[in-house]
Amino acid sequence: MRGKVAVVGAGMIPYGELFDKSFNDMVQQAYKACIKNVDKGFDTKDLKAAWFAQWSGGFIGAGTQSGGTLSSLIGNREIPVTRTENGCPTGGDAFRNGVLGVASGAYDVVLVLGAEKMRDKPSAESLNAVGAAGASLGIFPGWTLGGGGTVLQAMYATRQMFELGYTMEDYARVAVKNHKNGVACPYAHYRFEVSLEKVLASPIITWPLHLFDCCPQTDGAAAVILCRADLAKKYTDRPVYVMGTNTGHDYVNYWDKHNFIEMLSTVRAARGAFEMAKIKPADVDFGEIHDCFSNTELMDIEDIGFCRKGEAAKLLKEGKFARDGELPINPSGGLKAHGHPIAATGLGQICEVFWQLREEATGRQVKLKKGIGIQHNVGGPGFGTSVVNILSRSA
Amino acid sequence: MVQPAPASPFYWRLNPEVYRLIGVKCKDCGHITYPRYEICPACGGFNLEQFKLSKKGKVHTYCLNYAVPPGFEAPIVPVVVDLDGGGKYQGLITEVDKPEDVKVGDKVKMVLRKIDTQRGLNLYGYVFRLVEEG
Repeated sequence: MRGKVAVVGAGMIPYGELFDKSFNDMVQQAYKACIKNVDKGFDTKDLKAAWFAQWSGGFIGAGTQSGGTLSSLIGNREIPVTRTENGCPTGGDAFRNGVLGVASGAYDVVLVLGAEKMRDKPSAESLNAVGAAGASLGIFPGWTLGGGGTVLQAMYATRQMFELGYTMEDYARVAVKNHKNGVACPYAHYRFEVSLEKVLASPIITWPLHLFDCCPQTDGAAAVILCRADLAKKYTDRPVYVMGTNTGHDYVNYWDKHNFIEMLSTVRAARGAFEMAKIKPADVDFGEIHDCFSNTELMDIEDIGFCRKGEAAKLLKEGKFARDGELPINPSGGLKAHGHPIAATGLGQICEVFWQLREEATGRQVKLKKGIGIQHNVGGPGFGTSVVNILSRSA
Repeated sequence: MVQPAPASPFYWRLNPEVYRLIGVKCKDCGHITYPRYEICPACGGFNLEQFKLSKKGKVHTYCLNYAVPPGFEAPIVPVVVDLDGGGKYQGLITEVDKPEDVKVGDKVKMVLRKIDTQRGLNLYGYVFRLVEEG
């Protein structure tokens, strides 16, 4: 990247089933939380552009919004605002666009905000609506019937079991770890522990995935403020810096894919982000990564490059990815416990990475070594889109 | 959620890729896919030729979905099949009610079946069924 970019503020609302909050309420509350989070105060006139992450596109919740929606909601009609949508990586990719806006030299200070209203539909209907976004029943009879997120990931989970020897118990351990982490996070949707037995005794949603292998449908909003690194000290003495950012893709159609044990969208996103950051996966202290389903987290860990293919389940069992382990994965609780309000998810993860790197994650702080954290999403039609952002407390 | 009105089977019959399984093969990289494309999704090449997909193959992966769309009986069993002669196909498999009924590598063949009736129109589609060994 030509110019260095810093994160100087991050704010979000507690995620959950927020029947008392409208989409607009969530946007405004996340924005206020973000502005108030800036250590030395923030004059909103400093904002020069904004990116608005919103996925749902009319299938569920709030319909398709535009940049103007955010502009009006934050009372700022003097700056350009772009709405971005890129599947489940919408939030992470909006962040990337904000970073590029600053790195290019076009804007000194920008806002990136994501929000999603998902709980206005019952979960089964919401789930099928999410599936319908990628695969509409009746267009190609029999090809993609009922192909929601659980079906898409269960196809991988079956093949991971066949080819890598993974078990439903291995998947359940991801849920146990992330629920345990979520208890300590005040922003998490679910703040209760689950036992291995409870996960394995929960109803099968899509075999081989149990109910507790699946993340919830969540309402939420999150925001960050980015600026030129040389301006960061105006806002805080402890900025966090963007080292690398990348979006990667693979086929959207399942019948085009080469295998079902890795997601090449993640592999490509991670490869480019690490190249930009000029570091290796071994340099990363912790990650907030996309565990929409428990088997997905194991795949992500391998595809990002934290271990070889087929090793993640064993390392999880040995405790490597626990909050007090060698490489904490999802100290916030992950999508599994923290929740998955699609376009807010990536930005919520970046909030967590920001607070962890500033050692402000009370009750859930991970041990920092090099002071580098990673954020990752994967999703969209056929899980063909992924984003990886790498952040550091050092310039 | 309101689904779009289905097309009449009359139109599907005129559409070669759906019932006659006509896909494409890339002359540059050999990738086989469907439906018809003008650009190869694997290599970006423009040199595609029609390719008739096989109705036979082996199960690559599958799942049993109990969170089914309204009006369907659980489980629905989506499957990705490695087709004999090349290419993969995504569809449903019939006569499977529990995970043990099918496994990766099982031989399957496609049969044309009525999948649903919506607003008085039948929706036909290929589904896979297990091929008895022996």
